[in-house]
Amino acid sequence: MAETMVKDLADVSFINEVCAIPGGEAIRSCIQCGVCTGSCPTANQWDYPPRRVIAMVRAGLRDELLSSNSMWFCVSCYSCTVRCPRDIKPADIMHALEIIAIRSGKSTKRSKTPTMYRCFVDSARGNGRVYELGMMIKLFLKTNPFAALKLAPVGLGLFFHKRLPLKPSRIKGMGELKAILNKARELGGAK
Amino acid sequence: MEPKIGVYICHCGTNIAGKVDVKAVTEFAKTLPSVAIAREYTYMCSDPWQDLIRQDIKELGVNRVVVASCSPLMHERTYRRVCQESGLNPYLFEMANIREHCSWITEDPAAATEKAKALVSAAVRRVYYQEPLETKEVPVNPNTLVVGGGVAGIQAALEIADSKHKVYLVEKEPSVGGHMIQLDKTFPTLDCSACILTPKMSLVGAHHYIELMSYSEVTSVEGYVGNFKAKITKKARYVDVDKCTGCGECSAVCPVTVPNEFDLGLGQRKAVYRPFPQAVPNAFTIDKRGLPPCRVACPAGVNAQGYVALISQGKFKEALGVLRRTMPFAGVCGRVCTHPCERDCERGKIDEPVSIRSLKRFMADYELNVGREKATPVERTKEDKVAVIGSGPAGLACAYDLIREGYTVTVFEAAPKTGGLLRYGIPEYRLPDKVLDNEISYLEELGVEIKTNSPVKKFEDVFNQGYQAIFLAAGAWVSQKMGIPNEDAKGVLHALDFLNKVNSGTKVSLGERVAVIGGGNAAIDAARVAKRLGAKEVSVVYRRSRAEMPAVSSEIDEAEKEGVKLHILAVPVEVIAKGNKVTGIKCIKMELGEPDESGRRRPVPLKGSEFEMGVDSVIFAVGQGVDKEMLPEELEYTGWGTVVVDSTTLQTNIEGVFAGGDVVSGPSDVIAAVAAGKEAAISIDRHLRGVDLKEGRPIPRERVKDIPKEGVQAKLRQDMPTLDVNKRGGFAEVELGFDEKAAIEEAKRCLNCGVCSECMECVKACQVGAINQDMKEETIEVEVGNIILATGYDAFDPTPLYQYGYGRLDNVLTALEFERMINASGPTAGEVWLKDGSHPKTVGIIHCVGSRDTKYHEYCSQVCCMYSMKLSHLIREHVPGTQVYEFYIDLRCVGKAFEEFYNRVLDEGTMFIRGRPGEVTDIAETPEEEGKLIIVGEDTLIGRQRRVPVDMVVLSTALQPRADAEEVGRLFSISRSADGFFLEKHPKLDPVATMSDGIFVVGCCQSPKDIPNSVAQASAAAARALAMISAGSIEIEATTAEVNEELCSGCKTCSDLCPFHAISFDDEKQVSRINETLCKGCGVCVAACPSGAIKGKHFTAEELLAEIEGALV
Repeated sequence: MAETMVKDLADVSFINEVCAIPGGEAIRSCIQCGVCTGSCPTANQWDYPPRRVIAMVRAGLRDELLSSNSMWFCVSCYSCTVRCPRDIKPADIMHALEIIAIRSGKSTKRSKTPTMYRCFVDSARGNGRVYELGMMIKLFLKTNPFAALKLAPVGLGLFFHKRLPLKPSRIKGMGELKAILNKARELGGAK
Repeated sequence: MEPKIGVYICHCGTNIAGKVDVKAVTEFAKTLPSVAIAREYTYMCSDPWQDLIRQDIKELGVNRVVVASCSPLMHERTYRRVCQESGLNPYLFEMANIREHCSWITEDPAAATEKAKALVSAAVRRVYYQEPLETKEVPVNPNTLVVGGGVAGIQAALEIADSKHKVYLVEKEPSVGGHMIQLDKTFPTLDCSACILTPKMSLVGAHHYIELMSYSEVTSVEGYVGNFKAKITKKARYVDVDKCTGCGECSAVCPVTVPNEFDLGLGQRKAVYRPFPQAVPNAFTIDKRGLPPCRVACPAGVNAQGYVALISQGKFKEALGVLRRTMPFAGVCGRVCTHPCERDCERGKIDEPVSIRSLKRFMADYELNVGREKATPVERTKEDKVAVIGSGPAGLACAYDLIREGYTVTVFEAAPKTGGLLRYGIPEYRLPDKVLDNEISYLEELGVEIKTNSPVKKFEDVFNQGYQAIFLAAGAWVSQKMGIPNEDAKGVLHALDFLNKVNSGTKVSLGERVAVIGGGNAAIDAARVAKRLGAKEVSVVYRRSRAEMPAVSSEIDEAEKEGVKLHILAVPVEVIAKGNKVTGIKCIKMELGEPDESGRRRPVPLKGSEFEMGVDSVIFAVGQGVDKEMLPEELEYTGWGTVVVDSTTLQTNIEGVFAGGDVVSGPSDVIAAVAAGKEAAISIDRHLRGVDLKEGRPIPRERVKDIPKEGVQAKLRQDMPTLDVNKRGGFAEVELGFDEKAAIEEAKRCLNCGVCSECMECVKACQVGAINQDMKEETIEVEVGNIILATGYDAFDPTPLYQYGYGRLDNVLTALEFERMINASGPTAGEVWLKDGSHPKTVGIIHCVGSRDTKYHEYCSQVCCMYSMKLSHLIREHVPGTQVYEFYIDLRCVGKAFEEFYNRVLDEGTMFIRGRPGEVTDIAETPEEEGKLIIVGEDTLIGRQRRVPVDMVVLSTALQPRADAEEVGRLFSISRSADGFFLEKHPKLDPVATMSDGIFVVGCCQSPKDIPNSVAQASAAAARALAMISAGSIEIEATTAEVNEELCSGCKTCSDLCPFHAISFDDEKQVSRINETLCKGCGVCVAACPSGAIKGKHFTAEELLAEIEGALV
C-alpha cells in the first residue's frame, strides 16, 4: 500500500470511466460514510476497503487501484448494497472495476480470481457450457498445482455422485453462441 | 378609452437574459396590437425603472401594463403598487413569468426566446380585456389559534397573549410541554430542560389571555385569513380539570398499570394518570380505550376487568362491590356460569384466558369466609310497586335492579323455596345451597320481598294488589320428549325432574346402570348425580362429537374422572322395555355432516349401525319447555311454546307485563337469564316513568380496538383445586376455589384491555368530586383571525434497521428513551441501568439513524450530532469513568456555541469514530467481547474495520413528520414538502407563513430544528399575527365571482359546490347571490353554472380566451 502524496493532475478520466458503467454514476453521491466497509465480511483482506476504493476512483488513482487486490475479494454478499444510504451498489462497482482491470492488463497476480475468471470464460466459450474438470485442471496448472490435492476429496465426492463428468459436453448451436459473443465483444464486452 | 399597453421586459441580470434574447422579445412586443411602448432593462424591479413605468403611464398615457420577468409571487405586488401610485387600477396590470417558467427550465436559448414571446403575447392580449376592480378590506378577528403545546406553541401563545390578545392553545396530549419536556438537559448550555420550560408552561396555564385546551384536537377549519372558524374536540378526560387539585389520590388507588407513553414505555403509569409531575394543566386523565372484550361478551355486561383488577390488588371486598353494581350472583355465577367472557378473553391469544369465573367465585367465597356485613336496605324513592313472578336468576336480577332504582319489589315464587332452577336444577356439589341462600338473603336485606308458595294464576290479581308492572320469569320446567317408543316406561326419567327430586330430598332409585341422553349441563349434572346416588355404570349418550357438547368443558372432564362414560355420535331410537320396565336402549351411530345454522356440524345417522345398551334407568336431558298450565291464560305463545315478547323491550302482549329468561328463550343459561332480568328492569323503569321503551336500545357496547400484547410473558392460568375423586361419594362441592394467593396471581394475568377498568375506586378516593366517569367528548367552535401550527415531530422508529438490533438486542436504546432514563424524573430516577441491573462502562452512540439515508429520510435531522454529544457528556456525568464512542459520518455543529461544545466533549475524552457502523452484534469473536454488544464498522479515518465492544448502544434517531401530518395539512389547507414536513411560503423570505394566508407553521412541523430556532420561529409567527391584528383589517383580492341575475335560473348548483359557503339564495328573486367577503375566487361555481350566469372577475371567459390565443401565436 503506497502512501505517497497524490500529485493532482485535475484528471477526472478515471471517475468518468467508472461513471460510464451502468449504475456507476452513483459513486458521485457517495458521502464516504463507510457503512460498506463496516458491513463487508472480507474487507480486512482488501488492499483498500470498499469505501476507499470509491475515494480512490474519485481521486483518479487508477493504476494503484486497478493493480490492487481489492475488488477481487468482493464475494457478492451485497451487505454493502443493502445498507448503503446513498443507493450506491458497491458490489456491482467492484465487478465493473474487475473488468476495467482485466482490459487494461493491470489485474493483480496476488489474487487467483482473475485467472479463475479467465479459465471459466475460456471453458464456456469452447463448449458453450463449463467443463468443470478441465477448467479446474487448467486453473491449478496456472496457479498452484499442489493446491489441487486439497480439493481432491471434494472432486472425488462429486465424481462418485456423477456430478463431475470426465468428458466435456458441447451445447447445440455453437455457431450461434459464437455470433452472440462476437457481437458482445464488438459492443465493448470482455475479450 | 382605447387601451394603450406598455410592455416591460426584464433581463434579471443573466437569469433571463442568459437564455432569452430579450431584445428580440422586445422588438416582437412592439408589433403586438395596442402596444404603445415596449422597453427592456437589466433589473426592471429597481427603483429607476419603476419610476420609468410611472412616467410612461403619466406621459405616454399608457393605461395597461405588462411586465415580463419573474414569478408573480415575487413582484406582482410591486408592480401593482406602481400602477396604483400612478393612478392606474392595479388590476390593469399583468405579469408574464419568463424566468421560472421559461429561462430557468431550458438549456436552449432559441426555445426560451420563442416561449418568452408566446408568454408576452398572451399577457398583452389578456391585459387588453382586463377591467378595473376594487379590492375590499375585511376586519381581522383579534383572536389566535395555536395548535400544539410544545415549546414553539407555548412561545407563540405567550408572545401574543402578552400583547393582551386572546389565544386558544390546543394540545392533544393531557399536558403541554411537547418533546422538550421529555428531555433532560439541552445543548449546548446544558440547561435543565424542565427548569427552563416549566415556568413558561405554568404561565400558559395561568395566563389571563390564554385559553388552554389540553387533550383536545382541531377537527375542522373553515373561513379565510382574519376570519377563521375552527371546531375543537375536547376528548373525554373523565376528570374535571377545574376541580382536580392534582393530589394523586385517584392514581394511588387505581388498580390498573400500563406502560407510560411519556417514558416511552420504560416506566409505568396507572389508568388514571398525569404524564409527569409538572404537567400543565396539573390535572389527571383517565385512559379509557373502550369496553374490554370480557365485558362485551357477557350477556349481562358484567364488568369483569373491573373486579379482576381489584382482586389483583388484594382488594377483594371492593372487587365484589364492582360485580354487585351489575348483579348479585358472585357465588352462583362464579360456579355455574358458562363464561362467554373467557371465550373472548384476549389473554387467550397469548396462552390461556384469565379464569374469570373462578375469580368471581373467589370473591364470594372470600366474603362468606370473612363474614358478610348485613346489607343496608335501599331507600324507596319511588311510589310504584313491581311484581316479579319467579325467583330464578332472571326474576331476582330484575328485582335487584329495580329495588336499587327505588321501587318496591315483590317476588312471587310458586315453589316452597327460592332460587328456581338454581336451587332445583343444579346439584349441590356444583352449587351449594348456602351460597345461593347467602346471595338471595342479600337481596332480601336490600328490601326485596319474596313470597314462596305463591303461584300467580292471573295478572289481574297482581295488578289489583297495587302493582303497576309485572316481570314474568317463571322458567321452562316441562321436560321435552324425544318421541321414541316406550318413552313412558318405568325407569325413564327426565333430567330436570330427576335433579329437582334429588335437590328437594326425595329418594330416587335408579338401579345399577344408567343412560343419560343429551350433552348439555343438565345431562352432565344428571350423570354425575346418578353416580353419586350409587349407580355403577353411567353413560352419557350424545349425538354430536365431544367438542360440540354444550356443557361446560371442565364439567365434562370432571364427570369422566368420576367414571361417567361418554357415548358420542349416538342417538337412542327406542327404549327397550319388558313389561313396561326399562331393560335397555337401542341407539344408532351418527356421523357429522354439513354445519347447520348454529354453526355446529349436523349429525347424520349411519344406516345399519344400530346397537343396544342394557340399562336399568334412562334419564332424558334433551330440553325443556314452558309449562303453559301454570301461567295466566291471556299470554301469547310462539310455535315453540315460549312467551312472545318484543326482542328489545321484553314487553308481552299485555300492557305492563314483561317476560324474560327461559320462559321466553326456552332453556338457556344463568347469565342469559340475568341479562334478560336486567333488560326487563330497564323497560319497567321506563314504563313506570312514562319514557319511550325503545329509544337508544339495545345500548351499543363498543369493544376496545387495539389491545397491545408486546412484552407479555406467557404464564398459564392457576389450577383450580378439586376434591379428590375418591372422596366424591356425597354431594360435597367438587371445585374448591382459589385461595388468596392464587386469586391474586390469576388476576394479575389480566391484560386490562380497556385500560380504565371502571372499578370506580378513583371516584371514591377523590375528595373534590373531580372525577366524572360518564364524561363525553365535546366539540366547541372558536373564531380566530390567525392560526399558528406547532404540531412538532415524531421520533423515527429504528426497528426497520435490523442491523442495529433495536427491539432485538438488550441495551440498544433510542436517544429519546435514553433521555428519559437519564432524566431525574424519569423511570429510573436518572440512573443509567443495563438490563442486568449494572451500570454501563462503555457506551456507543450511533449517529444518523434514519437520517441522511435514501431508504428512510434523505434529510439531515439537524439536531442529532448535538444531542448525541450532549448525551455523551451526561453519561459521563451520571456514571463517571464511562467510555463513550460516537460513530458519526459528519459532525454538524452549526450554531452559537455548538463548536465549543464539541471541543468540550472532545476534551472530556469521548472517542469520535468517523464511519457509519455496519452492524451491532452480540456474537463475540474474542473472550473480551463476550457478553458485550459489538459495534462493527469502518473507522474511515484510518481506513480499517473496527469492532468496538460496548455495554450499551444509543441510536440517534431522526426527527420525522408526524404520522398524521397529511391529515393535518389537509385540515388546514397547507402543503407539505417532499420530506413530508409542512411547506413554508418561501424558504428564505417567508419562512413561517404558508400559502394559506393567516396560517403559520413553526417549530419541527416545518422541518427538524433545535429549540432556539423553534422559539425564534414561534416569535416570528406571533409577530406576523400581531401585525395583522394591529392593522385591524386586511385587504382581500377583488377576484371574486359575480352572478348575473338576468341569466341565473335558480338551480342552486353553485351553492352546493361552493367550498367557502359564500353563495346564498334569494328566495324572492329566485337567484343565487355571492357574498364577496367569503368568496375566495376559486372559480368552481363559474365552471359549474349551467347557464353561464357566473363570472369570475379577473378570470373572465374573454380574458382567458385572449390569453390562450396569444400564447398560440
